[in-house]
Amino acid sequence: MSELSTKAENTWCPGCGNFGILNAFKRAVAGLESEGVDRGRLYISAGIGCHAKIFDYLALSGLYSIHGREIATVQGAKLANPNLYVVAFGGDGDVFGEGVSHLLFAAKRNADMTMIVHDNGVYGLTTGQYTPTSRRGFKGPSTPAGSVEDPLDPLTLMLVAGATFVARGYSGKVEQLADLMAKAIKHRGFAFIDVLQPCVTFNDTYKKYNAGTEPAAHDPADFAAAMAAAARRDRLPLGVVYETDKTAFDRELLGEHNPVRDSLPQAGRLERIARVISRS
Amino acid sequence: MADEVFTLIAGGKAGYGIRKAGTVAAALFARMGRHVFQMDDYPSLIRGGHNFCAVSTAPGPITSHYTKADLLVCLDQRSVDAHASHLSERGVMVHDDKAKADEGSVGLPISAEAKQYADPELITGVAVAAALAAAIGMSESELAGLIEQSYSRGNEENVPYARTIYKAALPALKGWFRLNRGEKERPLLSGNEAIALGAVAGGLDIFFAYPMTPASSILHFLAARAEDLGVVAVHPENEIGVINMAIGAATAGARAMVASSGGGFALMQEAFSLAGMAEVPLLCVLSSRPGPSTGLPTYTSQGDLSFALNQGHGEFPRVVASPGSVEEAYRLTAELLGLAWEFQTPAILLTEKHLSESRVTAELETGKVAWAEPVPAAPGPYRRYLDAPTGVSPLLFPPSSEIVKWNSYEHDENGTTTEDAGNSTRMADKRRRKGESLADHLRTLHTVNAFGDKGPVIMTYGSTTLSVLEALRHGGIEATVVQPVFLEPLPWWELSRYAGRNVTVVEQSSTGMFASLLKEKAGIVPARVIKRYDGRPFAPEELAAALKAAE
Ligand SMILES: Cc1ncc(C[n+]2csc(CCOP(=O)(O)OP(=O)(O)O)c2C)c(N)n1
Ligand code: SF4
Ligand SMILES: [Mg+2]
Repeated sequence: MSELSTKAENTWCPGCGNFGILNAFKRAVAGLESEGVDRGRLYISAGIGCHAKIFDYLALSGLYSIHGREIATVQGAKLANPNLYVVAFGGDGDVFGEGVSHLLFAAKRNADMTMIVHDNGVYGLTTGQYTPTSRRGFKGPSTPAGSVEDPLDPLTLMLVAGATFVARGYSGKVEQLADLMAKAIKHRGFAFIDVLQPCVTFNDTYKKYNAGTEPAAHDPADFAAAMAAAARRDRLPLGVVYETDKTAFDRELLGEHNPVRDSLPQAGRLERIARVISRS
Repeated sequence: MADEVFTLIAGGKAGYGIRKAGTVAAALFARMGRHVFQMDDYPSLIRGGHNFCAVSTAPGPITSHYTKADLLVCLDQRSVDAHASHLSERGVMVHDDKAKADEGSVGLPISAEAKQYADPELITGVAVAAALAAAIGMSESELAGLIEQSYSRGNEENVPYARTIYKAALPALKGWFRLNRGEKERPLLSGNEAIALGAVAGGLDIFFAYPMTPASSILHFLAARAEDLGVVAVHPENEIGVINMAIGAATAGARAMVASSGGGFALMQEAFSLAGMAEVPLLCVLSSRPGPSTGLPTYTSQGDLSFALNQGHGEFPRVVASPGSVEEAYRLTAELLGLAWEFQTPAILLTEKHLSESRVTAELETGKVAWAEPVPAAPGPYRRYLDAPTGVSPLLFPPSSEIVKWNSYEHDENGTTTEDAGNSTRMADKRRRKGESLADHLRTLHTVNAFGDKGPVIMTYGSTTLSVLEALRHGGIEATVVQPVFLEPLPWWELSRYAGRNVTVVEQSSTGMFASLLKEKAGIVPARVIKRYDGRPFAPEELAAALKAAE
């Protein structure tokens, strides 16, 4: 597990929830390896923000993408080579703001990918502005009088958009989070984990989440129960909120075809081109 | 009359099957072994308005439609009004007999006879083929065969309708024109089809695009033939999704291409820079229409030249090239995909509606295409951004036991983020050296086309080359036509020899972007710039006159 670490200097603030996410992910990968999943088949990507630094801290292949686009990046990698397990790390600003169109469509088309959102309710890296998940009244440098918008609810959004695996984790509960991550990676379809992540510098939510969360207790196969769980505001359920089976996008689109593996040599291409031209 | 250019122009409302009528005529001429150039002029709407197609054909090479028609078929009054002045000296106008037209024109019961059929608007397009058949001396049964072959549906109505119109047309039109057969039958291809096929020839594995005229038909073509060609076509949520998916695909080892027009391309800029920084091989097709903004969606323009050359923020190498013919579109797309992979940087194939959507009889030498083998990684520890002397680092893709990290941030050789000053200089130098290696490599390639070697020098590029060549043919003008195929890096080493000459530039831009580029990069100061920027391609008749006046 330790060799999943890299030599990159860690620049997260001491106490940041991102450490819990990093540790949970390493555990999840170790767990998958013990089940025979080769880590070389993992392809990771990240947006831009504090969350995204995880890309440098994991000894795994992939592309350190741009703000909000990691969701598209991993879908492209998956379509190129469906044998990859693709994972996107995003921030709440990243995923629900800049990249929200990709998020909705990834869920809608059931792209086989894992979306891990480091949901700290703030733009960390750009010093504390409100995000789509910040509470009404949140004061940041762009909303000095407090945000006048109500927050988005990520779980409801994803359920409605068609995600086939929806979960909520908490960076303070590493073991449970690692378990959710492993399940999400193994899920054949769009798997979404909203990770409650305290930002000790701009939005310290440790107390709130330590006291205000509880294990999800409904049947995750029941969509109505999942919607009800997602709507809860008194205490936030943690765990798998919804899970269902549906053919993944790459399978629908490609069938057995693997564009990288099945890429034709030049001669085969020229033959096919000649055939197509002879018909035009 | 025979052995010269024959032009059919047919006009009507959108929904009258005008485009299809042009395609049927083009196929007929091609089957006669003649050369064909088919241009569709249509506004951005689905019903109503005014569409026309111009199909010019000759026994020898032809690289433009003509705007003076020999046979003009007007399916409605608006077409009569718009095109009555577009008749050649020997030309004849055929029109719906409900429309008012000058004496000497031939009224036919086009709309009256159409009324008895299920779609009385769509079927009127069939009248074009019927009138053409009568005018060039085809028999009624040959016409019926043509209709059966050309229309996939509704022939139980199309054929009787065509026969009726043919019989009505025969007394007036019979044998008006005689078209000789040419030497051999050639396939008809649009520029976009050639681009799609060229990409496949060059190694395309997966194509991403969001619909935008005039690039959409690349998507439609590849989607329809994905299985036949062994490739995948994907239509994601928007152009930002398009290019970022393509980049993701390339980093997983698939040769990817995207295509759009100006607006969609503008959305791709941020990721274009990502490809520059992360050194991701990517081919982008930019098919231009007049802007700015939505502009004239279905017309042609070369107003995106500067946009293409300056795509993306930050400094990084890129290749931009523009094909001057359908055949070249095939070759060049394959070559650019290869260059993108050899030099791990984005490449742009710049083209225009006029080449993208015009259909011509093309003789593709399908086997004569570039095939690049990118630098593979040696066994042992892998560094994605190995600081090689050429600036080109070896490629490796997951799944792999080695870690392959691509990065949008400035990074070290391993692909790990770093803001270290010395490393930043080193990596910027690496990318610059890669650009120099690319420019050196271009010197070994064919980068400039020259047609003719006498007379004044005319410089042009892209689809305007087609217009210039036909104008010279039409006007019997002798000239040396110089067409840089590559625009970035601009092959100044080939072009500078024209610096002292009396140069005429022809381009479809209002500000003369191409002339400015020649001046800036090759020291060529054109004596004059002939421009057209109303969205319509140059007409050979008009351009020949302008070139003669310039002499
Ligand atoms: C296109 C673009 N716009 C803006 C930025 C600046 N930017 C960097 S990170 C960031 C916000 C990050 O917030 P979030 O996604 O919540 O990540 P966090 O830092 O909180 O982990 C922004 C706006 C950018 N990098 N790219
Ligand atoms: S600013 Fe917040 S999110 Fe960013 S590293 Fe510090 S604590 Fe973590
Ligand atoms: Mg955040």
